[in-house]
Order: sequence, then structure tokens, then C-alpha cells
Amino acid sequence: MSFELRDHTADVGVAATGERLEDVFAAVADGLAAASCDAIPDDGGDRFAVSVAAESREALLFDYLDELIYLRDVRTVLPVDNRVEQIDGSDDGEWRLEGSARGIPLDAVDAREIKAVTYSEMRLEDVGDGWEAYVVFDV
Amino acid sequence: MTTFDAGDVTLEKVREYVWEIPQEGEMRTPARVLASEALLEEISEDKTLQQLKNTTHLPGITKHAICMPDGHQGYGFPVGGVGALDAENGCISPGAVGYDINCGVRMMKTNLTYDELQGREEELVDSLFANVPSGLGGGGIVEAGVDTVDEILARGVDWALEHGHAVEDDLLHCEDEGTREGADPSKVSQKAKDRGKNQIGSLGSGNHFLEVQRVTDVFDDEVGEAFGLEEDQIVVLIHCGSRGLGHQTCNDYLRKIEQQHKGLLDRLPDKELAAAPAGSQLAEDYYAAMNAAINFAWVNRQLIMHRTRQVFERVFDRSWEAMEMDLLYDVAHNIAKKETHTVDGTERELYVHRKGATRAFPAGHPEVPKAYRDVGQPVIIPGSMGAGSYVLRGGENSMERTFGSTAHGAGRLMSRTQAKNEYWGGDVKQELEDQQQIYVKAQSGATVAEEAPGVYKDVDEVVRVSDELGIGDRVARTFPVCNIKG
Repeated sequence: MSFELRDHTADVGVAATGERLEDVFAAVADGLAAASCDAIPDDGGDRFAVSVAAESREALLFDYLDELIYLRDVRTVLPVDNRVEQIDGSDDGEWRLEGSARGIPLDAVDAREIKAVTYSEMRLEDVGDGWEAYVVFDV
Repeated sequence: MTTFDAGDVTLEKVREYVWEIPQEGEMRTPARVLASEALLEEISEDKTLQQLKNTTHLPGITKHAICMPDGHQGYGFPVGGVGALDAENGCISPGAVGYDINCGVRMMKTNLTYDELQGREEELVDSLFANVPSGLGGGGIVEAGVDTVDEILARGVDWALEHGHAVEDDLLHCEDEGTREGADPSKVSQKAKDRGKNQIGSLGSGNHFLEVQRVTDVFDDEVGEAFGLEEDQIVVLIHCGSRGLGHQTCNDYLRKIEQQHKGLLDRLPDKELAAAPAGSQLAEDYYAAMNAAINFAWVNRQLIMHRTRQVFERVFDRSWEAMEMDLLYDVAHNIAKKETHTVDGTERELYVHRKGATRAFPAGHPEVPKAYRDVGQPVIIPGSMGAGSYVLRGGENSMERTFGSTAHGAGRLMSRTQAKNEYWGGDVKQELEDQQQIYVKAQSGATVAEEAPGVYKDVDEVVRVSDELGIGDRVARTFPVCNIKG
């Protein structure tokens, strides 16, 4: 799994790939962390659980990233080293994600605020041998 | 007919500085770009024009979707976009307001001159930086429980007045006197309130800042006098919004619209344009929540302004009243407001969405505060931290041409990633200090690089076009002295 930060006039785009759906979700989340902070420390901070449910795969990705931004503000930590253990569901019912992140206290890093995840140009696609995603974040 | 070829889009020149994208396909109206050819060249380099065309797909769009001279690519709606959507048969779009509800600018005057400040810049910038929370996780001036957040959401600056963070005169110089009607805290989610309660009175990061400036030019003596501006005077400009509370509110309603009005959403070319049909429960709920977030942002800027008064008191050893640190005006540039406009001779109620655009009502308009009704409302246009900012007044053509709107800033030209490759924060800071005597202090060096003067359009040209079009007339220009940011 990997991600790349892409040019956007005012905001920032994250393009990510992953072998499994779980991997591409975690890669976008790591892209969000990288867009927030140029030098993420290798250790420090406690790991916390992240759980999200939504009505579709795309909505689950949106809500997952929204939840990470929410947790950043209320826990005052930068979520890094994102792990997505499991994604289950179907579009007839509900999609669920279970994962975790390591939260580095914000006063220990030189980080800037990403305001929000957007649906603008969002793409989440099964490309046969893995998954690709593209997400624009509001800075 | 003169045309401008922007690749996939061809624009037709209507008159000087007015370009039209003709209606085609699913577009409900034409779209217009207000720009000189030089600005249009820049505007056409990213996806601004496509995003502008997309906004004309929104139900109830009236006359045309309009891009201001500082327009650039955003998400869904372009930044610098104005869209007036019918309040009875149209819709309201959280994405077209933006995440940072009531992101805006206020300017506070002083009676200090630049001479009196020179030599104290470092002391002032250090003291402002130490006392005005900025950056990520920097807390707020007020630490509050949810009850307090609810009061702020309901009452706006009136809450600040009661708690000693404002004076009566501040309310009289703010749009809607600092309290938005129809705000309902119960329509703002608990998550949004949880994010907001630690951020009341904080700048945040990105392009938000507090800047001490000097007035370099007054172009219109009569209006300058009405605004209380004169050359060499020190003023303070504050740019920030509704922080996490506003961002969360936007996302909460985008998701609700996706779940409840999927039919409408599926007909729109960009999911970020998600809109609630006028008259639906969700449209009413979003409008009430957005109004509450507007109040939150006003209180945010008010607390920062009042704290700035206290910092000046300590640095200059005088009371803020003696330094006449009075609010000139506060303008929002991410907002939707139900307004009455005359369209083809008929009065209509419209949700006027201004995303990266500023209301610019002219002289005589009943919604301009009494203090400025004879000359038109002040419009504050911040430039980059190495260039001038401007004070305009609402122009007499604004109601007819732009639903009473003009630009909101210089407008970005270069992406943040490219900016970081081209500039290093430390160099930018040193150059500003050595060459232009501008003192910058930021939480993050990367922010300084991303906000380097070279990443923005030419604010002088943006303002010139606004002035020529008569939508916002130049009154005064200011130039940075000290700048703090996240």
C-alpha cells in the first residue's frame, strides 16, 4: 500500500493504492497525516481504536477520514500509522470498518490543520489486482 | 464577437471584464467570469471553469453562476463563486458554502501611526503570537462547556458582549449586528460542538492570519473619512472562520443530503455540490445550523480582536480606548444568506451562496449598517503577507451584476505542494523582514512557505477589475507590518 500527495490549487489531493480494500483506506489515512505534517515521528503516542459504519464503500471512506479529523480535534493528537483491520458489508445493508491509529500529541509535532475530507473528485475503484483511491482534502 | 479559448471551454466577451460561458447540455443558465484577460489566463489554468459550469446544474440557479476576479479551483463550487438559488423552488448547498462556514475578515482601526510602531515590531509580533491561539491543537481564548457553545451558537457577539469580550459599538459595526437570525444550536451536531468547544477564539492554520498593517493610500477621501481611515494609520486585520465546528457541520449535512435526497444528488455532476431542496426539512435544518455556525465564527473573530486590544495595551502602555481600537467592519466570505433581489423586474427570495466572495452592498441598501448606509458597506480584501490588502466599498453596480458581491482576496495561483518545493519558510520570513520590514511569526515553517507571496494572484489587478466593474470601489490600501499565523 502506498500514497502520493497531488497538486491542487488551494487544497491537497491524496492518491493511494492497496492490495486489499483495508489497505487502500489506511493508505489514504496515512496520506492525510502526511498532508498535515512533514516529519512524522517514528514512535510516541498511544494507539486508539477507530470504528465507522456507513451505507456504501465510498461513504465509509468519507466517514472514516471525517472520524480521524474529528478524533484529531477532540483528542488533540495527530492520527498516524493508520491500520484498518477489517471492512465488512454490502450495499444492501451496512459497511463497517474496524481499525486503529497511533495518536501523536499535537504539541509534539509541527502539524497544520486539514479542515475536512471532501467528496470532490473522490474515486474508489477495484482495479483487478488491488484498489485505487483519490481524495481531496480541504486545507 | 471576441472569445477566449480556455481548452474545453470557450468564453464569449459580453463587455469589458465580463465573460460568458454559454448555456449548453444540462446547464440551467449561462455562467459568467468577471476578469481581465490576464486574470482569465490564470483562472483557466485549473478546473475553475469546469466547476463553475457544474454549479449551473443546481436547481433554482438564477441568471448565471458567477466567478469573481480572484476565482480558483475549489471543491464542488469554485472559490470566488457566487450562485443565487431560488429560495422557494431551488435549493441550498452546504458544499457551495464550504467547510469553513463564515470564514471571513474583520478590520480594527487604531489611532496609532506607523512611526509610533516602528522599532516595536518584534515585541508586538511576539506578544500577539504568544497571546492569540493559532495552529493545530493550540486551544482557544475561552475554554467552554457545551452549554456555553450553545449560547454562542444562538446569540453570536451578543454573548461576547455579556461576557466582557466586546463593547456595544462592536455589534453596530458587524453584519447583522453580530447575531444571525434563525440560528438553532439544536441543529448543530454534538460532534461539531465537541470540536468547537476547545477552539473558541483561535486562528487555526492554512491561510488564516492576524496582521498588523499600515494604511499606505486612501483613494477616496470622502469614503475614507466615513470609514475613519487615513494614510499612515495602523490597522489590524483578522482572517479566520468557524473552526472545526463549521467544518463538521458542513460534512454532517453533506452526508444527510446524500442519504435523504439521493435523487437530486445523482443529477449533479459533482457530489460535493450536494444540495437540499428549498422547503425540505433538511434545507431548513441546514440553514438553521449554518446560521449558528455563522454566530460561532463571529464570536471567534470578536474574541481574537478583543485579545489583540489587550496585547496593544501592554505593548503601548495605553488603554485600547485611548488608542481608538474600534471595529471598522466584519465581512463573511463563505456563506449562504436568504436575500431579496430584483431579477428581471421581479423581487425574488434567493439563497445567495458566496464561497470565497464578499457581500458588497452599495449605499442606500437597508442591510448596510447605519454607520455606512450613505457610502456603502466596507469590503475588506486581504492580499498575501507580502502584498497590500484593500478596503473597498460596495459598488453601485453590484446588485445588478453580482447579486451584491465582489472578490474576497488575491486568490491562489500555485498549489501548496508546489509552493513547498519552491520556497522555504525560513527564507520567506527573512526576506520579508529584510526587504519589506514585515515581521512574520508562525507555528509552522511549512505554512509560511505555502502562503508565500508568490503563490497568490496579483491582488492589485483583482481590485482594479472590481473597481472598474463598479461592484466594489477602491477606498484604501494597507500594507503588512506584523503577521502571525498557524
